[in-house]
Amino acid sequence: MSRSLAVVPHLVRIYIRTRMEYRGAMLLAWFAQALSYAATYTAIALLLLRFGNLGGWAWSEMALLLSFHLLAYSLGASLSFTQFRDIEEKVRMGTFDAVLIKPVSPWIYLVFSGLNIGYAGHIILAVGLMAWAVTQVAVDWSALTALYFLLSLVSAAMVTAAIMTMIGATALVWVRSKHLFSIFFGFWELARYPLNIFPVPLQILMLTVAPLGFLAFVPVAVTLGKPVPLLGDWALFASLAAGPLAVTLGALHWRHCIRNYQGAGG
Amino acid sequence: MRAAAYPAFALTAFQSRLVYRNQVWASAFGDLVSIFARIAIWTAAFAGATQVDGITLPEMVTYSVLAWPLLYWDFSRVLYDVGGAVQTGDVAVFLLKPIHYPSYLLSTHFGHFAFECVTIVVPVALIVGFTVGLLPPASLFHGLMFFAYWAVSWLTLFALACLCGLLAFWLLTAFSLEWFLMAIMSLFSGAVVPLWFLPAPLAALFGYLPFAWVSYYPSAVYLGKLDPAATWLHLGIGLVWLGLLSAATLALWAKARTRLVVQGG
Repeated sequence: MSRSLAVVPHLVRIYIRTRMEYRGAMLLAWFAQALSYAATYTAIALLLLRFGNLGGWAWSEMALLLSFHLLAYSLGASLSFTQFRDIEEKVRMGTFDAVLIKPVSPWIYLVFSGLNIGYAGHIILAVGLMAWAVTQVAVDWSALTALYFLLSLVSAAMVTAAIMTMIGATALVWVRSKHLFSIFFGFWELARYPLNIFPVPLQILMLTVAPLGFLAFVPVAVTLGKPVPLLGDWALFASLAAGPLAVTLGALHWRHCIRNYQGAGG
Repeated sequence: MRAAAYPAFALTAFQSRLVYRNQVWASAFGDLVSIFARIAIWTAAFAGATQVDGITLPEMVTYSVLAWPLLYWDFSRVLYDVGGAVQTGDVAVFLLKPIHYPSYLLSTHFGHFAFECVTIVVPVALIVGFTVGLLPPASLFHGLMFFAYWAVSWLTLFALACLCGLLAFWLLTAFSLEWFLMAIMSLFSGAVVPLWFLPAPLAALFGYLPFAWVSYYPSAVYLGKLDPAATWLHLGIGLVWLGLLSAATLALWAKARTRLVVQGG
């Protein structure tokens, strides 16, 4: 394990160097992605300008929800999305076998040899919007509130990385799993709105099988002191436990898939 | 090459998608979740009001289904096809063949669109229709005109995607271009928020840009929000925009193929 971790800085350095070779394209991508999210948020802001609130959430509260959603997703996805989206291609071409014979953990190798710095644009936008939103919402910030906010952010990022790992790992058994990302992003889009506006079956799904309710809504609602459907007073504890629980399930699924990997390439 | 060959490209694209059945189920499920989410968002926004700015909730439900999965189709495939062909050098193969590359793209992506329409959009619309309810066209005239607007919408979005894709000849990447186009479309096309809920100056400005002909105007015509005179007038303006965008696409293609340098053998 220590040998696997020792190689992480080298893997990250090499990957960043390769990305920096195409600096112009990288900066353009950061800008384009941030612009796209900003345009969507502007559309939501215009909707709230006309209707006043969405399920009892005003624009400043929505801004906190949107920024938390984007930041938690970016932190988790930078460790997982492209790496596990492309795993099916590695399985299909047989190049995943080369990952397995490296003297480091396959998960650590995959994650850090492709640590996606392309999310910088997302992170800059999210931090900027969050910095504005925290000054606008009616929250009595204390050290404890701030600590909860940070820990729940880490937990939410863990949920993202764990789900992406599970989807990617499925390709080791099914060969194809990219289509499961369509389902993930369907729920991911919902996760940027207050959970209380959705029908109860969808709320249950978002807190259990597709736990993206923990990506932003539950932690932000707890911070703002808003009621959390189905969870009630358990929401604070659940939002902190969701990340470690998802990571545990993700690790078990990853190990199961690695054990059952038979290869599909020639 | 004979024009009759192009429908064959569309048919091949359609048939090629039949292979990936799991993708169909996953996409249909993803779209269904997103549509029900949009319906929930509009229901929450209306907050029990019968109508807002003369628009009723059933009209917004119908608008959500029309404006997004039907009219605002997934154009990223066009960009990635062009971007990929430029990056790998495969575009040279198309130059050697007796085909017109933009027309080839048009027919291929029409095949993809037809496939997604039949296997994803129509089933999703039927499920929404039977569970939540969809409104019929405001009148026979508006129903018929919707098909004309749909054609303009599809071709306009294709031309915009193609224009962005061809810029990959200069930038050598289609990734950023896709995100730029997504930014423009999510704000200006009316796919997320219809123009009638925007502040008047913004609505007036966005209403003259070509992006509004992708989602907003076809859906507004279907719902009868434009009278017959305005419907004909806006169809004419849409056709002018389409003509300009098509001319720009052809001009860019003529320029792009003269500067192509393929490396490697």
